[in-house]
Amino acid sequence: MDELLEQFLIESRDLIAQAHEDMAALEHAPTDRPRIDSAFRAVHTLKGSVAVFNLMPAIQALHAAEDVLDKARSGAAGLDGERIAALVDCLDLTDRWVDAMEDHGVLPAQAVADADLLVARLSGVAQVARAGATEAADWAMALATELGNDDGEAGAVVAFRYSPDPDCFFRGDDPLAIVAAIPELSALRIEPVDPWPALADMEPFRCNIQLLGLSRAPLADVQVVFRLVADQVEISAVERNADAAEAGAVGNTVRLLRVDAARVDALADGVGELIVASNALSQVANRAERIDIGLAAQIRAVQGNFERVVGDMHRSILAVRMVSIAPTLRRLPRMVREIAAATGREVTLKMTGETTEIDKGVADELFEPLLHLVRNAVDHGIEPPADRVAAGKAEQGVINLDVSRSGDHVRIVLADDGKGIDPALIRRIAVERGVVGPDTAAGLDDRAAIRLIFAPGFSTAATVSDISGRGVGMDAVQTAIDRIGGRIEVASRRGEGTAVTLLLPLHAITTKLLIVEVGDDRFGIPLNHIVETSTIHETDIFPIGRGRACVHRDHTLPLLSLAQLLDQRAISENKLLVMGTGADSVGVMVSGLRERVDAMVRPPRGLLANIPGIAGTTLLGNGGVLIVLDLPELVA
Amino acid sequence: MTVHCSDDVIFLEGTCPVEDAENLLILLQANPLGPVDLSLCTRAHGAVLQVLLAASPEYCGAPPHGFVQEWIVPNLKRGVA
Repeated sequence: MDELLEQFLIESRDLIAQAHEDMAALEHAPTDRPRIDSAFRAVHTLKGSVAVFNLMPAIQALHAAEDVLDKARSGAAGLDGERIAALVDCLDLTDRWVDAMEDHGVLPAQAVADADLLVARLSGVAQVARAGATEAADWAMALATELGNDDGEAGAVVAFRYSPDPDCFFRGDDPLAIVAAIPELSALRIEPVDPWPALADMEPFRCNIQLLGLSRAPLADVQVVFRLVADQVEISAVERNADAAEAGAVGNTVRLLRVDAARVDALADGVGELIVASNALSQVANRAERIDIGLAAQIRAVQGNFERVVGDMHRSILAVRMVSIAPTLRRLPRMVREIAAATGREVTLKMTGETTEIDKGVADELFEPLLHLVRNAVDHGIEPPADRVAAGKAEQGVINLDVSRSGDHVRIVLADDGKGIDPALIRRIAVERGVVGPDTAAGLDDRAAIRLIFAPGFSTAATVSDISGRGVGMDAVQTAIDRIGGRIEVASRRGEGTAVTLLLPLHAITTKLLIVEVGDDRFGIPLNHIVETSTIHETDIFPIGRGRACVHRDHTLPLLSLAQLLDQRAISENKLLVMGTGADSVGVMVSGLRERVDAMVRPPRGLLANIPGIAGTTLLGNGGVLIVLDLPELVA
Repeated sequence: MTVHCSDDVIFLEGTCPVEDAENLLILLQANPLGPVDLSLCTRAHGAVLQVLLAASPEYCGAPPHGFVQEWIVPNLKRGVA
């Protein structure tokens, strides 16, 4: 893919997600100034990005959105539900265009029409807001310019114009005390409302002053101070120098570096080599001991230091690979909105724990399966509004997505409050589609029956819509989760909903290995390839045709020798690894079983890369290199 | 007394409450040019400030501190000018 486009896809999705996040926050606190600023910056930058590809409809739509946000920023027009909804739609539309750019390299044909509609809507809301608010902004601007010179600093300020009631002193108000409570007051001017009368005619308890000033505090903080006299005050946020303010904001954000994951992996490899070097140093110390004990002690001290530093580096590298799961989840709310709209459901998606960190490798693989699960939850879980009301539920269905860390796993629970899964229906469909035989189906308990939805060839979609009709079933989810070493659990109650739990490894880069012996050599075999291990005696083995077999759990199990698979001379092998299940199972004989280890398996490189059946290599604690075998490939 | 007159100088001291506005006005009506000494004044009610603004007397004594010095005095100087 074109590098520029690739960068655009990443960056624009980040910006859209950022703006979405801000919008979600603004929905609850529409005057949250930092959020408005953040959304404005995101939309502004996004507009710049789409301009690089000259996507006119997107430029126009985002420009209109920027206008709305700018007015919210200057205080000319605050955000309300309608404006936020229009902005969210604008972001969704842009997101779809970004998808289109990725898939087709161009915007869809109806983009121009969509953009026109949206621009009309956005500028409509912007104009409604303009009436009545412009004047207020003008006085604030003037005040900021006039008084702002005193403090000589540019940036966002809040201007206030406080005209206390003439009777306020009698009520116990002290305008001066109120103003004194304003945080970060940067200018204050007190002036008479009417010209001062002669002292002889003055009424000391009739208030005739107006207080004008500026504060650097957030708008909300200034509003709080005036809450009891809100009817006597005008407050407005003013941007005195937009460029300076933006520069300041950039300084506040966390500095991020976007690095190719392969480079981080290369670093991890480098650290691995260092561990080997450190272990070699320890061997040198052993040899030196025989010659010069003092020198040996020095070498050991150096090696100890070396080992500690390398250990720290190793942990840092693992931490670098940890990313927030949030970017993976960002597109889901929009997907839910779209799927719900297409299927006539009303659904809200609530997410919690989305800042949980997970290995980058896992995060990258997670979007598709999650999308599929969410799609399923909306399409098959949540009932149409009428059915929900009939069942005594709220019209709007709720899908909760909760991410949490538990031990060395990340747990993702996707729960809907829909109609749940009917085990009887699942059994019937599974039999109809030939996934299992009628007897097997009848023999399954409800939990096991529900798990049939993950079987290849099973799909409960009654109608093929554009939502579920993408040719992937839940088995695709199972495969994807298997690939990253995760596990899926399903719990469902009829009428109450379904919860799908994904248990994912925190560090995808470590694999559980079983170390096996073939003569004097040792190899690693990923544990997830092995169903069972046992011991086998010569007397149990009988020849079948040109091969050998044994009886294992009442089945005939074809036997292969790992030594032969690796083209080594025949040796006595009396340990058995069972792979696969049922008719597909195969026994592989090895000469010994050793310990189980958690290891970082590196893909084979150089000469090893061309040898079939090798999954990679890993470093053992003692610095030795272990070759990890791809058993299914060897056997095939 | 937070407002009092001594040797023709009107002193405002400490925190001057709203009632001081009337006393101050009476004192200033007698001596429209003051002078007024704010050096010991830490806080003044808006009503007191308003009398000072309307009378725009002369000031004497050391400069006060805190809020009065920072935000009130500049406004009084404007009145004087």
